[in-house]
Amino acid sequence: MNNRSINLEIGGGEQTCYTVPIGPTHPALKEPIRFTFDLSGEQIVGVDIKPGFAHRGIEYMGMRRNLIQTLYLSERICGICSISHPLAFTQAVENAAGIEVPPRAQYIRTIIGELERIHSHLLWAGVGAHELGFDTLLHLTWNVREKVMDLLEQLTGNRVDYAIPIFGGVRRDIPAEKAPLAYQALDYYKGLLQAMIDAFLHDKSVEMRTRNVGVMSYEQAVELCAVGPTTRASGVRKDVRVDMPYLAYADMDLHAITPEDFGTETIGDVYDNIIVRLLEVAQSIEIIEFCLENLPEGELSSIPKVPALLAALKNAEGEGIGRHEAPRGEVFHYVKLVAGQEEMAVWKVKAPTYNNLMPWVPKFLGDEIADIPIIAASIDPCMCCMDRVHMVDESGNESVHAKEELIALSRAKTRRVCR
Amino acid sequence: MNPQTILGAFRTALGGKILDERTIERQVGTIDPKPVYDLWIDVERGAFRDAVELLCGEYNPHLSVISGEDTGDAVALNYHFSAGWGERYGEVTFTIRVVVPKSDFRIPTITDLLPGAQTSEREKIEFFGIEVDGIPDKRNLFLPEDMTIHPWRRDQDEANAPFVKRLVKWEERNE
Repeated sequence: MNNRSINLEIGGGEQTCYTVPIGPTHPALKEPIRFTFDLSGEQIVGVDIKPGFAHRGIEYMGMRRNLIQTLYLSERICGICSISHPLAFTQAVENAAGIEVPPRAQYIRTIIGELERIHSHLLWAGVGAHELGFDTLLHLTWNVREKVMDLLEQLTGNRVDYAIPIFGGVRRDIPAEKAPLAYQALDYYKGLLQAMIDAFLHDKSVEMRTRNVGVMSYEQAVELCAVGPTTRASGVRKDVRVDMPYLAYADMDLHAITPEDFGTETIGDVYDNIIVRLLEVAQSIEIIEFCLENLPEGELSSIPKVPALLAALKNAEGEGIGRHEAPRGEVFHYVKLVAGQEEMAVWKVKAPTYNNLMPWVPKFLGDEIADIPIIAASIDPCMCCMDRVHMVDESGNESVHAKEELIALSRAKTRRVCR
Repeated sequence: MNPQTILGAFRTALGGKILDERTIERQVGTIDPKPVYDLWIDVERGAFRDAVELLCGEYNPHLSVISGEDTGDAVALNYHFSAGWGERYGEVTFTIRVVVPKSDFRIPTITDLLPGAQTSEREKIEFFGIEVDGIPDKRNLFLPEDMTIHPWRRDQDEANAPFVKRLVKWEERNE
């Protein structure tokens, strides 16, 4: 997708002097994607985005396995969102097959889902600090992130791929003796939050590098169907947990967080993205506390025996939608089941970055080359690590730039603006 | 968003062009259960653009994704919209289904109404081989540029045969 296909043009297009392809492997992202930038001097006047370099045909594979095998596969779509996909997938199958989920299981799913949001947002904040050249802040952020990773390991047995949801419930309980561990971690983050806000939002250098950089307007966010913190940073109050509640979110009073909650005007830039994500960490802490305090007693699963569950799923017929507000935005699964058939007839998976590809276009336009890493990182893309930049100038001369060079450019700009 | 209001508006505007409609009510919440709604309507292909125009004009929808199923002679496309976001319990999912026969395998684009639909429409072009009339960019998005088969088609042998290496024992037994 490119800027011309959505009728976005900015001045300077006539004077384009060179085109810079960045990727498929590149510095700001942890997974491959290709951006082709049209540049007028330092300014980006056009961009074309080509994803797909990590396409593994997961839906195709999922439609050739039984549902429990596909549940494990869905958990491996993404290492960071490793409970978001199973949460949406189990809901889609439960809606299609008419399976009830006991209250305690709903709360346990919510707790793990919110712990994942805390670790994902802290991971993102660290990456953002690194792209700007603040490696001290990266190490501080990732150091404090270890606390929630440890808690996830203590509760589920794994740092990633928790294998908690199963159709009709959860696979593991959170026993009462584990609750103090969770409270201890939450208190730790409550004490840290103000320090994180000071380090990111009250820092003059961060503000200078992120204010009015990577801007997307409210109208663009709506018409490009952006999701998650990316759309909320533009002032769009869209959050599946609020708009169409599910699991334990239906029992509590929630609101979608936008920069207004921080008391600042909404601009829709990278700074606003930081605001939304840091405030959502605070919101997640509140949600987990609510769930721990109100954790209902009862069964963990409505169909605990796996053979009985497989038989019930094989006989089920229908179609269902499952949605979950993952750390990056709405995860959507559509499932169609046919009676007598072990595998699904149709499985469609939609990850948040799928919707957030198009919003990259307005965010890049008008900004500078040195801002590419932080804007690319601002949507928290889930296909992400640059190796090198391949530059081709007008006369066809090629030069290869190592990843360090682009990051060095970004850092040099930070030093320049701080002077 | 009241599901009856939105369905009523569609009945008035499209009338007999709605082939089928379903409202699924689900109770959410463990303390004080409340209903949420999934709406599904099947429309004739000729009325598909009108349906999306009505939705985009009145309800400011969000398009999650377009899913599809090869049913033999045709492909059924499900446009998974949601409307009413921004308000607690205000949102309903609204799926518009349209069946496109393979003999005339084309559908009008909706990118002029909702530019965010481009990603999903391009994915359908490469995975089903459907023609989307009026889409501003029809290059392959997720698949390699030189890929000619359409993986979600069930009538293409290449897409079904040993295209994916069998990974686990039970699959080999089923062969």
